[in-house]
Amino acid sequence: MASGDLIVGLEIGTSKICVVVGETRPDGTLKILGVGQAPSRGVRKGEIVDFETAMKCVHEAVVDAEQKSDVMIRSVYVAVSGGHIQSFNNRGCVMLPEERDEIDDQDVEDVKVNAREVSIPAPNAFLHSIIQHYHVDGQDGVLNPVGMLGEKLEADFHIIHGVRTRIQNTIRCVKELPLEVEDVVFSALASAQVVLTQHQKNLGALVVDIGGGTTDYILYIDGAVKQSGILAIGGDHITNDISMGLRIPMARAEKIKIEEGSCILGNCLPGETILLKDDSGFAGKEIERETLNTIIHLRLRETFELLKRTVEEEPFINYAGAGIFITGGCSLLNGIDHLAGEVFEMPAHVTHAQTLSGLTSAAENPQFSTAIGLLKYAQAVQVDRPRRGITRIFGRFFSGMR
Amino acid sequence: MIQLSKNYSLPERQEEQIPIKVVGVGSAGSNALDRVLLDGMDKNDLIAINTDVQSLASSVAARKVQLGRTCTRGLGTGGDPELGYQAAIESADEIRQAIAGARMIFICAGLGGGTGSGAAPIVAQLAREAGSLVIAFATLPFSFEGKRRAVQAQDALSRLNEVANAVICFENDRMGDMVAPKAGIHQAFGVADMTISQSVRSIVSLIQRPGLIRIGFDDLFAALRTQNGRCLFGFGESDSDNRAHDALTEALKNPLMDKGRMLSEATHVLVQVAGGPGMTLSEVEILMRELGKHVRDHTQIVFGTAVDSKMGNRLSVTIISSLASEDSPVSQEMPSPPEPFLAPPPEALEEIEEAPPPPTPKIDIVPEPEIEATAQPATNDLIPFQQLAAVEPPAPAPKQTIKKAAPRLIPPKKKAIVEKEAKEIKPPKEKIHAKQEMMQFEPITRGRFEKSEPTIVEGQDLDVPTFMRKNIKVK
Repeated sequence: MASGDLIVGLEIGTSKICVVVGETRPDGTLKILGVGQAPSRGVRKGEIVDFETAMKCVHEAVVDAEQKSDVMIRSVYVAVSGGHIQSFNNRGCVMLPEERDEIDDQDVEDVKVNAREVSIPAPNAFLHSIIQHYHVDGQDGVLNPVGMLGEKLEADFHIIHGVRTRIQNTIRCVKELPLEVEDVVFSALASAQVVLTQHQKNLGALVVDIGGGTTDYILYIDGAVKQSGILAIGGDHITNDISMGLRIPMARAEKIKIEEGSCILGNCLPGETILLKDDSGFAGKEIERETLNTIIHLRLRETFELLKRTVEEEPFINYAGAGIFITGGCSLLNGIDHLAGEVFEMPAHVTHAQTLSGLTSAAENPQFSTAIGLLKYAQAVQVDRPRRGITRIFGRFFSGMR
Repeated sequence: MIQLSKNYSLPERQEEQIPIKVVGVGSAGSNALDRVLLDGMDKNDLIAINTDVQSLASSVAARKVQLGRTCTRGLGTGGDPELGYQAAIESADEIRQAIAGARMIFICAGLGGGTGSGAAPIVAQLAREAGSLVIAFATLPFSFEGKRRAVQAQDALSRLNEVANAVICFENDRMGDMVAPKAGIHQAFGVADMTISQSVRSIVSLIQRPGLIRIGFDDLFAALRTQNGRCLFGFGESDSDNRAHDALTEALKNPLMDKGRMLSEATHVLVQVAGGPGMTLSEVEILMRELGKHVRDHTQIVFGTAVDSKMGNRLSVTIISSLASEDSPVSQEMPSPPEPFLAPPPEALEEIEEAPPPPTPKIDIVPEPEIEATAQPATNDLIPFQQLAAVEPPAPAPKQTIKKAAPRLIPPKKKAIVEKEAKEIKPPKEKIHAKQEMMQFEPITRGRFEKSEPTIVEGQDLDVPTFMRKNIKVK
């Protein structure tokens, strides 16, 4: 198989690292060839804290993926996350010269550059600038202004930026392996590519990717990204809460969270207990199911409430007609969709990557949403570069600092 | 001395074998009978009464009475209590024959349907007229079965309350609590039947068992005296090493007990501890002391104990009590009915003595007017359903009880929630103290995020577990 068709997505998560190898077909479909993963160490809240260890883990995952898919991995798309990533909306504006009133490609390019000319904190770097809509002479909602007549062209962009050095850490970690980094992509943006259909993006949808260390969200309204961001709270926090609340080790807490946890309260019998067995099989501690669920419930409710307050700072969330789509490893928790629906007062669904061929079992696991989303993102960027919604400006931006 | 007393007790024991009958009315009743038989009652003591011939045919009872040969023609009542009532009136003679000779009659019925709601009160009344003591075990329908059934059930329950000596009422909704949510539905219904069977058995043995400290009818009725109230019933049996504790725990686990919480509100509690010859005084003492934690100081505990060699290693605890309806005026009114109630039976008996002769000749011609004629003089005793519906005054009473019963079910939960809310609201006052405590713990409480960059949003360190920050006690 030609390596040009090969796309590899790499996500360095807090709890695990996953590598998804895919292949673009001539007909535009995407086929997953293999998935490699390795438990992650040296990563906290989506960011690398122990470089050496994290690198080993990434290597492990890449080797695993190479074995599973039987290909050589040379370059990867990397998802980034972390509490430092921020976003905002900005409008760029260009006036057409007097003698011309037809908008051409150059004007569109100019307005994009113009929109990015905003001040972000000095240590930060742009990750994405995503076009929302064009306005021509005050006419709203123009999708493609090329060829239109007008004097003034404006463009709304959603700009995502993060601390440069922290993003570089992630890149370096991959480059030392050594692997080429094709591009870095904000993880929620990647997830949204496979979790949502175009129809859902048009209807308006909030994607919440709850991973091990972070909760990434991205809000689509009218097919355009309106809001995005990260809360540095994730499944690890739930595990930590359980560990401290029930006074059991982290590993045990993680296991019990996955096996028995639920965020629905009042659904268990009074006094119902779970017997904890230690590694040797001896009956250990008995814990009340309601207690476990209360701890999980409180943490997740708080996270959702915080998220709700964050997105409500701007008035867009009310237009999310398709509702909330929860993905990521934590979405496997029992009853999480009910809780989200209750907090946000709108329909909530647990989803995974859709519309893919190949290893569908991998696609159906919400833990892989981001890594698979990277493939879709890469495909969109490679195949039709001027595609609306995603512009590959990052590669250019970072090319200088690589 | 000991030998002497033994000699005295032996003849007494034989006398105490009171003839009893267990009557199952309707299909729910006959299901309960099946279970009672499985649990070791004598087949000959069981009577199945039903309108539905098919269900009757499959019953295990030795004696079967088909109700309403002419009015339902062997079919069911289709959920119509009036039809059940008429069918029971039509077959009154057969019922009388079937229950004749028993000194104690247990009636098991599922209220809410046609036969159970309509016929059970008649059976109870006929039994009373025959001079037996009547204890009714009634199940109330699940709330999802609809309001109409619930109203029918409450109607029937209040009628049963009027005629029976005691009514022990099981709410199916509570039975649901007893089984795991994932259990099959037949298992859930099976548990309901089992609970009824258990209570029939335990009351039978309570009364029949030769007791060191005896419990008689009087004690039983004292414990069940408050009518319209909720009956608390618990039975536990164990043969483990720690059998006293285990039996009590099991008894308190009964859905009618609500883990013993309900006991604290009861004024009378009847307890019988029964065991084999190996039962020790200290076991009884431990058990009673433990039970004492669940009741209030001024609660009157009627205690009985019995030794039965058949029990072998097992030790059983039976707890019976009742709660008055929450409203004091009602409970004050309640004592008054029993008085006229004690008086009527002789009257009723006399009337019945007069009454039976007429029905037999007249039944073929005009049965209904005849019944109404007998009913009118007795007023309280036989109220036809039409009258009930038309006059209505009795209806408000059950409605009241429903209303009172409903909050009664909720309070423990509600209180818990209110307390939680209160705790959440209170902190402004207590917070100062709580925070001082938190300050000391804060460095420790970040757990695995100890060394990582804190996530501080809206002034809160989100790495600290939510329940700690919100001061919510888990466990």
